[in-house]
Amino acid sequence: MPRNEYQPFLATVKEVIRHTDIEYTFRLAYEGPVKPGQFFEVSIPKFGEAPISVSGIEPGLIDLTIRRVGRVTNELFEHYADRKLFLRGPYGNGFNVDDYRGRELVVIAGGTGVSPVRGLVEHFANHPEEVRGLTLVAGFKSPQDILFYNDFSRWATKINLILTVDAGEGPAHCQVGLVTEHIPQLKIQDASNAAAIVVGPPVMMRFAIQGLLAAGFAEHNIWISQERKMCCGIGKCGHCRINDVYVCLNGPVFNYTQGKTLVD
Amino acid sequence: MDINTKEVIKNAFRVTKARGLTASRIRVPGGHLKAEYLEIIHQIAREYGNGTVHLTARQGFEVPGIRFEDMPLVKELLQPVIAGMGINQTEPGQGYPAAGTRNITACIGNRVCPYACYDTTAFAQRLEKAVFPNNLHFKIALTGCPNDCTKVRMHDFGIIGMTLPQFEPERCVTCRACIHNCRKKSVGALSEINYRPARNEEKCIGCGECIVSCPMAAWTRSREKYYRLTLFGRTGRRNPRLGVDFIKWIDEDSIIKIILNTYDYVEKYIDLNAPGGKEHIGYIVDRTGFAEYQKWALRDVRLPAIAEVTQPVYWGGLKY
Amino acid sequence: MGYRLTKEACDGVLQKLSLNHTLFAPKRFTGGGPFSGTDLIRYGKIASADEIVLDAKSAHSFKEALLPITETLFYFTEEQMKEPDPPAQGVLVFLRSCDLHAVRRLDEIYLRNGAEDYYYKRIREKTRFALIGCPTAFDTCFCVDMVANRSDNYDFSIEQDENANYLIDCRAADWAALFEAAASQTLAVEPSFVAATPTRVGIPALLDAGVAAAAMWDQYDGRCIKCGRCNFSCPTCTCYTMQDLFYTDNGKAGERRRVWASCMVDGFTDVAGGGCYRPKNGQRMRFKTLHKVFDYKQRFGYQMCVGCGRCDDVCPEYISFARIVNRLEEALREVKSDAAE
Repeated sequence: MPRNEYQPFLATVKEVIRHTDIEYTFRLAYEGPVKPGQFFEVSIPKFGEAPISVSGIEPGLIDLTIRRVGRVTNELFEHYADRKLFLRGPYGNGFNVDDYRGRELVVIAGGTGVSPVRGLVEHFANHPEEVRGLTLVAGFKSPQDILFYNDFSRWATKINLILTVDAGEGPAHCQVGLVTEHIPQLKIQDASNAAAIVVGPPVMMRFAIQGLLAAGFAEHNIWISQERKMCCGIGKCGHCRINDVYVCLNGPVFNYTQGKTLVD
Repeated sequence: MDINTKEVIKNAFRVTKARGLTASRIRVPGGHLKAEYLEIIHQIAREYGNGTVHLTARQGFEVPGIRFEDMPLVKELLQPVIAGMGINQTEPGQGYPAAGTRNITACIGNRVCPYACYDTTAFAQRLEKAVFPNNLHFKIALTGCPNDCTKVRMHDFGIIGMTLPQFEPERCVTCRACIHNCRKKSVGALSEINYRPARNEEKCIGCGECIVSCPMAAWTRSREKYYRLTLFGRTGRRNPRLGVDFIKWIDEDSIIKIILNTYDYVEKYIDLNAPGGKEHIGYIVDRTGFAEYQKWALRDVRLPAIAEVTQPVYWGGLKY
Repeated sequence: MGYRLTKEACDGVLQKLSLNHTLFAPKRFTGGGPFSGTDLIRYGKIASADEIVLDAKSAHSFKEALLPITETLFYFTEEQMKEPDPPAQGVLVFLRSCDLHAVRRLDEIYLRNGAEDYYYKRIREKTRFALIGCPTAFDTCFCVDMVANRSDNYDFSIEQDENANYLIDCRAADWAALFEAAASQTLAVEPSFVAATPTRVGIPALLDAGVAAAAMWDQYDGRCIKCGRCNFSCPTCTCYTMQDLFYTDNGKAGERRRVWASCMVDGFTDVAGGGCYRPKNGQRMRFKTLHKVFDYKQRFGYQMCVGCGRCDDVCPEYISFARIVNRLEEALREVKSDAAE
């Protein structure tokens, strides 16, 4: 018989970082290959499963940043902060660090869209020599929604960081406005060879990509990560299918030349 | 001209406002008939009437403008219609033997309508066989489902079709069509527990909406057919009122038995001095009290275990 | 090898097969239809050959044999997570050629698209197939156009001759002796296959995803009631949704199960936090249609739809899938001319 892919394994919660009342990062013990942009199914018996992006990778550890929005995540926040968690995964393709090596890189992320790119940003922030400049444009609805504020403070000296909130008064380093407003002001030396990653709510992604194309970025130099409903993570349940791809198998990271052809 | 109006009326002919002219009233139990009878009715109207036909409020026909002298010829023509519809007769060729118990009305029922819970036409015909002829003023109406298109609550006996929904949980895919439709189109008897519908048995009116809306046949109809029986609705002058629930989840045989028992009760308690010997049942029940009626009505009736008898029963309505 | 069997002899063979297999065939559920006084033909367990409905199409397909409508994946107690035992018996499924072609589609997803599905595989390994001969197409069938009208990968075929005896073409070596012993005659048997259908469909050779922009889909915003009957009746739809629950108020015991899902029904694309990717019924109709006659082929190299026509049979709003497919050619022209302007 094949392995039962639906059988989750236990991972010990090492630390819980509380960003906001409804957004926590669970730091878990994990040994095994995993890439930024991949996701795990967090599996809570009797409550359900939820696909969660890997937001950080360190030797023997993974971070899962979770927003409390439903039955599974509610239960997680209430009762699992100091225990072991069942996981399945990692699933999906994740980001390929090689795609961005040696190039100017712009990462545009909105809301929890910061999670899937956090590992990648962390990598290049620690290895600035691998890219020709990294810009992170991170947008949140309000100051209360800001995730990874400590990371931003840390990164501020290492990368070109633009932190923005749609409205309200942000903390230090924070501007007010939509992420898309910052695209025309990006200081890119060679836009036609620069790479960009866009992750976030569908509307934000659409306008951010429009902005990048207008700024001279080539379609094949843009990558996106798609969020869709996923029950299984292994190409069976069908919820995440778009055209001829399964986001859980072929994504969630797509080059824009392919991503633009996908119609929900 | 010498006419025994009492006899004429009992024979289902009317005394009309035009001197010398009558109208022939034709029963159509369940309001459904073979189209060939329309040709005969056409012939009567053309040859003996004034060329018109009225569709009565009780789903029969009335052919006006007939001369009293032509009644025997009309009855002769009517014979195949009466016999063909299976109307009980005392003497073939002599028309209808009674007119007191009115034509039994029904909606189109499950032969056509997707909502109907039973064959209203067949049940109407079965009832007709059981109760006719009778001179007592009884009005019976059947409707296929709780939509009550027949408006049975305006009749002495209202028969509303029901089905007892059967649920096979393993076939349910949580599409929620049943819950949504029950809430929007019926009484909201379904709630969701553990991704599956749970039926509030007290609230459920057996309309079958859950069954019709289920794409998986997780909900199906009960083998047994059930009904809601309502009593003594009426229109008229003194105290028009809607019929009220008597028994929910009653079966066909029990309904027939209760109606036959009611004839005995009316025979016993009707006001002998009532004009024309005609008194609506409801007024009799008002006089004897409902408890006495119920005693008579349920005599030898064996209700299904699931049946719910409303107690006590009250009517409202307008009082003039 | 081919055989002719009397009804009694055929029942004898079925009885022997049922020692190790649940016999699963289209059968009549009297009074089981949605409307009062109507029957339902769907799959169920049978014991004798005459229970197999040969003269009508089942409203739902055979697929619940391989993909239970509700399937428990784990039972949970406070401390434990336990898989349900695998089914003790195999299944022998009686099905027509179109449905047998659908099995390949189910296998494609559950055995080959990503990791193998443990639960599917353990049923599939014990499943065998009896082909129901199909002498004439029903009104809504279009198997010939979908190239699903002929099959040869069955264990045996079954149909009746003019005297109501059963004709069998047995291809399973291990069952030949069983039929041989019961047969009244050995003869060459070729199961009947439909050669022409009253309903025809033509999928545009140069269909592309751009057809999504055509105006034709908008019509279904109003016509479709998103009930999902087309998906649930389809032998090639494979989607499911996971459900976790606890049985009692104390929350100690519960289960994780999967149930069939439909891309036409509300909730299919809803993500945590409230997003929905295809809110309109017309979008869902387009998504489903293109999967059946385009997207699936792009991924796997052959069409998903097998032309059984059940979706047309069961649609309460009389939306014809065959008609939708036949409108694609014009929709494509419309999209191309819009693009040219």
